[in-house]
Amino acid sequence: MSRVILVVDDSPTMRGMVSHALNEAGFETKEAENGKDALIKLTTMMGEGKPDVIVTDVNMPEMDGIELVKEIRKLSAFKHVPVLVLTTDNTDEKKEVGRAAGATGWLVKPFDSELILKVIRKVLPQ
Amino acid sequence: MNGDYSKFLQTFFEEVTEHLSVLESGLLTLEQNPDDVEVLNRIFRSVHTIKGAGPMFGFTAMSRFAHKVETLLDPLRNRKFSATRQIIDLLLESADCLNMLVVAAKNGTVIDENKTVLDLEARLETCMTVTAPVPGQKPAPSQSAAAPAPPAPVTSARQTYQINWTPGEDLFQRGLNPLKLFEEIGRLGTVTSCVLATSHLPDLADLDPERCYLSWTCTLETDYPREDIESVFEFAASPGELTITALSSSSPVAQPTQEPDPEPAHSVIDEEDDPRLAAVFFGQKPDSLGAILVEQKSVTPAQLAKALDRQETIRAESKEHKAEASMRVDTEKVDKLVNLVGELAITQSMLSALGGHFEIKYLPILQERLLQLERNTQEIQERVMGIRMLPISTVFNRFPRLVRDLSAKVGKNIQLLISGEETELDRSVIESIGDPLTHLLRNACAHGLEPPEERVAAGKPEQGTIRLNAFHEGGKICITVEDDGRGLNRDKILAKAIEQRIITGNDTLSDDQVWALIFRPGFSTAEKLTDVSGRGVGMDVVKRNIEALNGIVSIKTVTGRRTIFTLKLPLTLAIIEGMTIRVGEDTYIVPLLSILESIQPKADMVQNFIGKGEVVNVRGAFYPIVRLYEVFDLQPEHKNPAEAILLILETEGERVVVMVDEIVGQQQVVIKSIEENFRKVDGVAGATILGDGTVGLILDVRGLVKLARQGQEIAV
Repeated sequence: MSRVILVVDDSPTMRGMVSHALNEAGFETKEAENGKDALIKLTTMMGEGKPDVIVTDVNMPEMDGIELVKEIRKLSAFKHVPVLVLTTDNTDEKKEVGRAAGATGWLVKPFDSELILKVIRKVLPQ
Repeated sequence: MNGDYSKFLQTFFEEVTEHLSVLESGLLTLEQNPDDVEVLNRIFRSVHTIKGAGPMFGFTAMSRFAHKVETLLDPLRNRKFSATRQIIDLLLESADCLNMLVVAAKNGTVIDENKTVLDLEARLETCMTVTAPVPGQKPAPSQSAAAPAPPAPVTSARQTYQINWTPGEDLFQRGLNPLKLFEEIGRLGTVTSCVLATSHLPDLADLDPERCYLSWTCTLETDYPREDIESVFEFAASPGELTITALSSSSPVAQPTQEPDPEPAHSVIDEEDDPRLAAVFFGQKPDSLGAILVEQKSVTPAQLAKALDRQETIRAESKEHKAEASMRVDTEKVDKLVNLVGELAITQSMLSALGGHFEIKYLPILQERLLQLERNTQEIQERVMGIRMLPISTVFNRFPRLVRDLSAKVGKNIQLLISGEETELDRSVIESIGDPLTHLLRNACAHGLEPPEERVAAGKPEQGTIRLNAFHEGGKICITVEDDGRGLNRDKILAKAIEQRIITGNDTLSDDQVWALIFRPGFSTAEKLTDVSGRGVGMDVVKRNIEALNGIVSIKTVTGRRTIFTLKLPLTLAIIEGMTIRVGEDTYIVPLLSILESIQPKADMVQNFIGKGEVVNVRGAFYPIVRLYEVFDLQPEHKNPAEAILLILETEGERVVVMVDEIVGQQQVVIKSIEENFRKVDGVAGATILGDGTVGLILDVRGLVKLARQGQEIAV
């Protein structure tokens, strides 16, 4: 059973690249283009194929990554799913906001796929 | 970069192109509405995405520049200060520069120390400090440091620092990843050692897995100042948790004071993450084929350079070609098409079921189903053509900027009103109308609209208005460029035409003929040359370009009030509406667009004028007659014009009458090039396959006009 990772980013390039890196490593990926879209997809995934890890961008239209993390933490079904933030933002203020919202980790773009994979393997529930 | 992301390169460029247009149109909106946070957020996101995705493909210059732009956008977005005209100007220039960097990246050109870029970067920074000293907005160090070639840091002396970090126990609960911090440290320079201290680890029974009991000591050789190292930890370490000690820069690397961990495998930065490794491999790259060949004296270095050059060109060409060879299509369009194909399949299966046990009594059903098949086919045809359609806004979008810049250049206050930008046009037409439209707009700004004083004196509002409109009209697309300026001046144009010996003072020309003069090559009535327009090149190019698209340009003008240029274009280049006509046994197609009317003349309407040949008098106007059977050497049914049918055709404002035997009907025809398959034939624009499978030739109206003119010189 391959592990499922939900990739949330408004940039199709980024989504494609992150998914590609993860697929190469044997993960199954689902994609969403903003926070709202991600929440809708999560709701439909509730029965089966629930993601093991969520990787999200911060700056997105409709609903940003920080809001998304907050919303995810409110849902009992996804409360414990690790959420990794993948963003160009690297300022302390932003990180603090992410931490407070309940993000599991903070990765910086341009990303290193090795690093992402390592982090994901670390946070994957056994 | 790690991984093979080349296949995302095209997606990236498509996306970036969209972001650039969002950026430009957003900035123009912002100029009208400096506090529109929604717009600010949108353009910020666009720049942000470029910044984030660029380095994944190694486009560091692009990303670095985007970062600088973003740094200025951020305080705007957070309402720290508001967008003044100067800031918008600067941002627009930056958008252009970003565009240049994107184009360079697309063509594989390396832009490193480009003057424009550096200059703008400096101005962006100055703008930040001058406008408002925004605290805490220092660029994140990893942005530039993560790049393969980080910009030279401010301090030049390489220093060695020892970093001791004992994080608080809540490190993990705060969602922090020490690994990442060390990654960042690694990017600042060379980490010569990194040791984990586990001495504070409690016994397993007392261990709380959510707490951090660890501390690190690492030695870093870096060109960056101490503040940059501190900034890496700024978020992670409270005061007292971190000490950074400068070691002597010349002395050999000091060993960490802490005793080494008994389990050395715990080193946080494991080998593959170590940036040093990359540096090592860089120097050990396997020799290229070229280098080996040179070494073996199989080729000379000059030959090698030439070959490499060629390789590069081919690579660039193929890249360019690829970019044009694909297109993005609205999913909705594809879905509809899939639906239709489904319907077609149903119709087909119904027909074959019918064919399986056909009796003549089923004829009405057969006819009905054939009709359905026709409907399906037609709709699919339309939808497939629709895939090639793009909203004209893709062209119109660049004009607000153009007019804005031009109005500043010519010192006039100009407003551009755009409507109908959702009108859809064939991709190839879209690509070709950009230049002609740009030219018409330039002309309107430079010549059409008067300077403010003149406008006020004429009782007009000081602000000039240019309207750009697109709409469908009878299977064609009309684009109008209208200015409320001074209008065309008949006398001035006539005087100029006489001066250039195009006409003589004795010629009497209708208004339409006079306006048509401005489309002549080299014709300009502008008194002085400006760099905006007025060199007399352009209007003829506009006309040629539009006509190459099977389109028509026409002018309407009211002296002192307005000028309207109307471009009529076919929806697509591949299919035209044609009128099928017959001469003897042969069938021809005349583009419907060029047919004004058809008449059956009375015998006295046709006359022979010396020097003008055969002409027909239609309500007082005389048009030259072309007998099609003479042109193509055919056996006609009628040789007497009074028995035949005359088609009045118009192109480029000139009219010609073509004599044919019969009008068969109207149909859509798919144009096939004759030139490509055979050679250019005078009077024939192309060919098509008719309903009965025979080939029909499509008449070239312009060519026919020329034929009519042979031996008869008409003024203009």
